Amino acid sequence: MKLLLSWVRDFVDVTAPAGEIAGKLALRGFEVASIETLGDDDAVIDFEVTANRPDCLSVLGFARELGTLYDLPVRSLGASDRTRTLDTTVGSNDSIRVTVEDTELCPRYAAAVADITNVPTPPWMVERLHAAGVRPISISVDITNYVLMELGQPMHAFDINCLDGGEIRVRRARHGETIDTLDAVTRTLDSDMLVIADAKTPQAVAGVMGGARSEVSSSTKRIVFESATFKPASVRRTSKKLNLKTEASSRFERGADVNAPVLGLQRALALLQQAGAGHAHGKIVDCYPHPRTPQTLLLRRSRLARLLGLTVPDLDVVRILEGLGFGVAVTSDGWMATVPTFRVDVSREVDLIEEVGRHYGFDRLEAAFPPMATATAPPDPRTARDQRVRHVLLASGLSEAVTFGFIEEAAAAPFAASSEGASLVAVANPLSAKFDTLRPSLLPGLLGAVAHNRRHGRREVALFEIGARFTPEAGETRGVAIAWTGAANSEHWSAPPREVDFFDLKGVVGALADALDRTVHIEATERAFLVRGRSARIVAHGVEHGVLGQIVPPLAERAGAPAHDAVYVAELNLDSIAALVPERRDAIDALPRYPSVVRDLSIIVPDALPAEIIRDTIQSAADTPVAPLAAIAFFDRYKGKGVPDGSISLSVRLTFQAADRTLTDADVQTAFERILLALVREHGAVQR
Amino acid sequence: MSLPDESTVRAALAQFEADLAAAPSLRDAQSVRDKYLGRKNSVVAGWMQLIGSAPADQKKLIGRYANELKQHIEARWDTYQSAAEANLRPAGAVDVTLPGRQPRLGHPHPLTLVRTRMEAVFTRMGFSIVEGPEIEDEWHCFDALNMPAEHPARDMQDTLYLASPVCGESGRPDDRRTMLRTHTSSIQIRYMQTHQPPIRIVAPGRVYRRDDLDLTHTPMFTQMEGLVVGEGISLADLKGTLLAFARDMFSERARVRFRPSFFPYTEPSAEVDLSCWQCDGQGCAMCKQTGWIEIGGSGMVHPSVFEAVGYDPERYTGFAFGIGIERVAILRHQVQDIRLFFENDLRFLEQFPY
Repeated sequence: MKLLLSWVRDFVDVTAPAGEIAGKLALRGFEVASIETLGDDDAVIDFEVTANRPDCLSVLGFARELGTLYDLPVRSLGASDRTRTLDTTVGSNDSIRVTVEDTELCPRYAAAVADITNVPTPPWMVERLHAAGVRPISISVDITNYVLMELGQPMHAFDINCLDGGEIRVRRARHGETIDTLDAVTRTLDSDMLVIADAKTPQAVAGVMGGARSEVSSSTKRIVFESATFKPASVRRTSKKLNLKTEASSRFERGADVNAPVLGLQRALALLQQAGAGHAHGKIVDCYPHPRTPQTLLLRRSRLARLLGLTVPDLDVVRILEGLGFGVAVTSDGWMATVPTFRVDVSREVDLIEEVGRHYGFDRLEAAFPPMATATAPPDPRTARDQRVRHVLLASGLSEAVTFGFIEEAAAAPFAASSEGASLVAVANPLSAKFDTLRPSLLPGLLGAVAHNRRHGRREVALFEIGARFTPEAGETRGVAIAWTGAANSEHWSAPPREVDFFDLKGVVGALADALDRTVHIEATERAFLVRGRSARIVAHGVEHGVLGQIVPPLAERAGAPAHDAVYVAELNLDSIAALVPERRDAIDALPRYPSVVRDLSIIVPDALPAEIIRDTIQSAADTPVAPLAAIAFFDRYKGKGVPDGSISLSVRLTFQAADRTLTDADVQTAFERILLALVREHGAVQR
Repeated sequence: MSLPDESTVRAALAQFEADLAAAPSLRDAQSVRDKYLGRKNSVVAGWMQLIGSAPADQKKLIGRYANELKQHIEARWDTYQSAAEANLRPAGAVDVTLPGRQPRLGHPHPLTLVRTRMEAVFTRMGFSIVEGPEIEDEWHCFDALNMPAEHPARDMQDTLYLASPVCGESGRPDDRRTMLRTHTSSIQIRYMQTHQPPIRIVAPGRVYRRDDLDLTHTPMFTQMEGLVVGEGISLADLKGTLLAFARDMFSERARVRFRPSFFPYTEPSAEVDLSCWQCDGQGCAMCKQTGWIEIGGSGMVHPSVFEAVGYDPERYTGFAFGIGIERVAILRHQVQDIRLFFENDLRFLEQFPY
């Protein structure tokens, strides 16, 4: 709202300089976009008006704010020579017949008829309109805009000769009806929209824009001024559907003063006369079937002090409310306030408290601190869990990424849980196709981040992200994902660098599971986005909690990374892993009292035999009280000279330990032989 | 060869000193020592040989000089040898100036750093950290927050909707999520539905708006919203809480300024400005010469919000505030382009300590 100071001085004798006014109103709820100085003591201040204050989309609205701010009286419209109104009376007018068919969408419709001559708009009015940011058009339109800026009441002027039947009907549009609006666009209407029609066709979209057919022209002799109130929600819906925002619609959709329409006409007619451009013809027609009674609200002194944490003197409460146009009556415990109809935002006691607080000044608040009445509630366990995951990964050399929750469908599809492509959550109204799908996995975003770094010359990229993933089946789940390419370790003079491989990823996944104190297993699997033979899933009790492996080169390349890059990834569902039972109990085990015995075993087995199966065989063969097996470790795996093709030499370290005695050599030997026998029998193992 | 006397001893000692100084290594020094003290062909041995042919009255004297020379050289040798050995590189010595095998540490994201730090500050003030879902229903995101169906904030321009609803974590058939949350206030609604006052929480998380990506906007950003509900909670309490936050987070001298504003879910509502911590309010480039830095929005919880969650607004009052984590990170780390937070360029991330 561009406020011209000399205009507002028509209503309040404010003498403060523009800079001071802007600074003070900025602390009372009106942000200042700019100040433009005009001559010696005039200026235009551009205020931002919040959505709840349509009354301040007018000079008069700011006059009330300034009057309250400087404790100055505010002259109402018509109270001075400069703001003259015509006291044209309300009644019937034989030149126009007005019918409001839908009084819910149009609670009040007032109209005045005027005979006009086409004269230029007076320079003082042109100047003021310019200052307010309005382009002057013709005398009748300029007058409606002048009243709009001054009083905040949107108005429209029709050429009465273009109204079929000399009639105005405020009705819902018929489905498919069209209108050519003033912006020279043909618009198709529907029955949710309210129109101002003549006997036959729509002449204006109510509260939004007039029609071209009844537009006032230089040859127009007689006009109808419209000054009405429309239901905010209806104007908003219509303006949105037609994608048409105007000065009028933005005021109506926030709520206009139901008592302004007639006043607006009286002001317009006075301006017409003052400009020598015409005079009123007959009475003002006012269709206002259900007059609104002003709302009264009780403001309790105790409530005011309690909510603000500040005692406002009674005198200031009354001064502020009256200054803003409220009627105030003192009661035993506070004040009864009558809410002016232009304050559509005030409907509860708390709204009055805001008005008093705002103008008394929030800067007068002393800082207090809310007392603790109870202990702090336990926090969300996810926060600490995520922090633990983050620390393990940071300590493993991975840096943290944050990528968008939405990605493009083509990037998401390869990672969807099922291959049908139906497992994606689409965004209904994406701003661009780049953000049209909620990510089913954190991996596409991380791959993008890897590619970004590779494009900027980074050889080693090791990243992780913790965040939400979305699928139609599982809804929203929180996961962690890792992407790693390049060297596995920092470059060092003592050894050649090693490229990251599957077991680096598996190691990190193991560390994560350990840090979360949950037991998981890794088993081979296939995924379209992972290289065959280098992909695995993370399982606990037969349920999958994640995957790991090497990204198939075409996907890495698609993300923008070089095709020859080996990018290893892992992703875990943190929610489902957290739901597993922790591995460790709170109570500790007593430390062993008897020594352990270590035996190494070297065998030749087929190289396709998974280590997990050998481990299981050893485990079940060792299940004997003779010499309990405490640990199994694979410490060497050799292929080559001395080992037949298709076989490997595997070295296993077996640790035996009993809780209740020292094991004898004979005990250990018995157990060892049982294990060896099982390996020979089940896998054809040959001891080396 | 003339018989040694006191001056010969002094001369021999001086010569030994000179030879020792000229020895390039401990081994050479050893030969020098042997030249003077060795069993054969050494200076001392030569003198001893002279005893046999020397006059009787000189024999004793020569023995004394030889012994004197020997003792001096041995003593000198002891100090020389221990000093030289101390200077020797011991077996197995390493060049400690070579690079170590340093475990590689990753770098946390700056948004995490800021968020964690803010969480710590609020935790110290008795707040609990609460999280919530990113996909929401309109009731939790709008209706319960005093934004009825016709509210402008619900316009398609601002909110991202899902093409078809997704089931919520409760698994109930009526728990249908239809949109991406536009603020973390929805977490506060969920919390109030399941807890009774007094409440003192902060809710951090990612939020989504239908915004274009540019220098200062992203369609996804991170917020931390706070909520305190109890009997007799006032706007002055809000000011004090934000002041304590600002002093802990930014500067001990920070001051808080409220500028009245409008949010549907708070009444009164205020924008929160902090005195600029770089210039202490004097005016500088960071605060654009105003002395103040806008940090977020706040206000007293609107009674309609309490009614929506079944609290008695006559009995309970409360305050809420929201702070943009990107905004804090931009100010703290002087980040010029908000997109840097989401590009995950390691050259950017590596500037933040483990």
